[in-house]
Parts: sequence; structure tokens; C-alpha cells
Amino acid sequence: MRSLRVLIIVLCSSAMAFAGEPEFHGLVRSIETTYGVHHMRIPLLGVALFFARPAGAHGLRLAVFEGFKTPMDSDEVRHVIESSLGTGWYPFVRVHSKGQADGETTLIYASPDGQNMRMMIVNLEPSEAQIIEVNLRDRDIKKWLKEPGEEAQGSSGHRREMD
Amino acid sequence: MRSINQKSLLSVFLLLASPFLRAQEIKLPPDVEKLSSTAKETVEVKMDGPMLRWASKFLSAEDPDEQKAAKLVQSLKSIYVRNFEFDKEGAYSSAEVQTLRSQFSPPEWSRVVGVRSERDGENVDVYFRLENEKMAGIVIISAEPKELTFVNIVGPIEVDQLADLGGEFGIPRLKTKPSSNRVAKVEKGDHK
Repeated sequence: MRSLRVLIIVLCSSAMAFAGEPEFHGLVRSIETTYGVHHMRIPLLGVALFFARPAGAHGLRLAVFEGFKTPMDSDEVRHVIESSLGTGWYPFVRVHSKGQADGETTLIYASPDGQNMRMMIVNLEPSEAQIIEVNLRDRDIKKWLKEPGEEAQGSSGHRREMD
Repeated sequence: MRSINQKSLLSVFLLLASPFLRAQEIKLPPDVEKLSSTAKETVEVKMDGPMLRWASKFLSAEDPDEQKAAKLVQSLKSIYVRNFEFDKEGAYSSAEVQTLRSQFSPPEWSRVVGVRSERDGENVDVYFRLENEKMAGIVIISAEPKELTFVNIVGPIEVDQLADLGGEFGIPRLKTKPSSNRVAKVEKGDHK
């Protein structure tokens, strides 16, 4: 259910791309090996994204980890992410919101590339994690650069849940 | 052999230079850092030099304000914004804000402006740092009843250029002049 919510949020948030990048797979593998979890297979995800993608979209990747126990110290996860992504990726936004259990943390890394910006969004909930890779273009990049915090809250669902 | 020596020299240089690069980062005091656990929401935005230079291309060349911001951003080394939002008033103490403010004391830092609004309960302090008699950075601390924001801009920037960056990259729009319907006190700080 949560996976569906994330999917809907991602689809509705902005124009995204469909590129296959090794960093996404590398990060999924790093999370799996470090925390002993496996990402869920979502049937027909690719088809759903193909038909539901907004105009101009050309890339989106999503991995959902159910049963993920978020470490108390989010710095530990940051280290795993940064080691996996390597150079060319910059820490961009971090949002933490107090929730019913231990709250929710979203870590966003950006990789600027000409007129595009790739973003890796790692969303950590008390018992679930999601990794989303998106490729933003001009109009969406401007929105993110203007109000990174607001956009991060919107794309991760923090603000939606609190309102 | 020569290339190995050059690489070794470069490595040694980078190792020696790294403490100076790190020195520009400002750590929030533990008392302020722990506010993350009580805040309804904490947002941290970080943009370093390469990303800022790239980001400047997305500021409109047709908009004079954005054009000014783009020119300014190209020479900056980093922008760091930390915002704490609370459920209710009084979630943080003035002592905690004072701990944060005390990091920016003379001779390294000078306070250029302080706004105290009795009506809104909003307190804004702006500090600047000089390096070899040139502006090297600005810190903004904005304390509102239910919100605390800390901004650190590293690089050559004048205080009056702050307005150009307000509203970009998560930097709040700064009102250094109190509006007429606010009971506010503007203090000129230690600006030399």
C-alpha cells in the first residue's frame, strides 16, 4: 500500500526520465548487502510507468524495501549511500519529519549533467525504505533549485502526510 | 617516476589543504543539533561550488533579479541552509539560539544587522566574515516562534547582495528593514 502511495506521489510530482543508470543498481545492491534486505518486485511497474508518465518524461526508477529497519543514526545510511554513489553525486537535501514511530527521513543526492539533473531520493521510514531515481529537466530543475526543501517535502510525501 | 612524484605531491597537497577546506564548514552546536529530535520537521539544503556554478545556468537571463543572483552564485563556494519547524511556540529556548549566535563572535565575525520584532517574535541576525579584508562569508540566523533557520553562505558576497539570493536555493527572503506595521528594532552591530 505504501509502495503504491510512493508510486503515485512520484508519478504526480514532476517530469521524470526512464534511463537505466548503474548507480541506481549499485545503490540498491549496497542497501541489500549492508542491511540484509531485498527490494520488492512490483508486477508491471515498467508498463504502468510507461503509460502513466507525464508529458516529456523520460526516466524513473524505483526500488522498495519492505521490512527495512532504519538505523537510529541516519549518518550510517548516508555513508552507505555516498560510498555507493561515488563522485559526481552531491548531497543536496535532507528532510527529517517527526512521525508516529521514529519519523521519516529523506536523503536526496543530485548529479548535474548539462541541461539535466539526475536525483537519487532515498526515503527511510520506520519499517520501509524506497530508492527513487529521477531525471529532471529545465522547468523541474528550476523548481527544485528555488525551493529545494519544499520540493523534497512534496516528493517524499512528508508534507502531504502532515497536512 | 615523474608522474608518480607529481601524484604524490598532489596527494600531500590535498591532505594538507583538506583541514582548511573543512574549516569553512560550520558545525551547529550540539544543543542546536538536538532540536532535530523535537522539531516537527528539519530540512537541510547543501550546495557546493560545482553544483552552484551549474545551478546558476538555470537562473533566467531575462529576469534582472535572477541575472544578478546568477552572477553572484558563480563565485560562491557553498550554500548551506538548515531549517527547524516546530509544532508549537517555545519549543526551543533563547539560550539555544544564543549558543548558536555565540559561534559568530569578533574578531573573525562581525554582526552587521540584527532585527528584533516584538510583535512577530521574529529575530534575525546577519553576520559576516572578512578574509584578507575581503568578504568571505555570511551567516543568517532567523528565529521565529515556531521556526529556526540557519543559513551559511561561503564566498565573496556583500550584505546588500543577500536580497538577490533571497527566495533561491532555499534561502529565506530577508527583510532587513522592518515594515511599518511591525514593532521592530533594528540594531546595527559590529560592522566596521
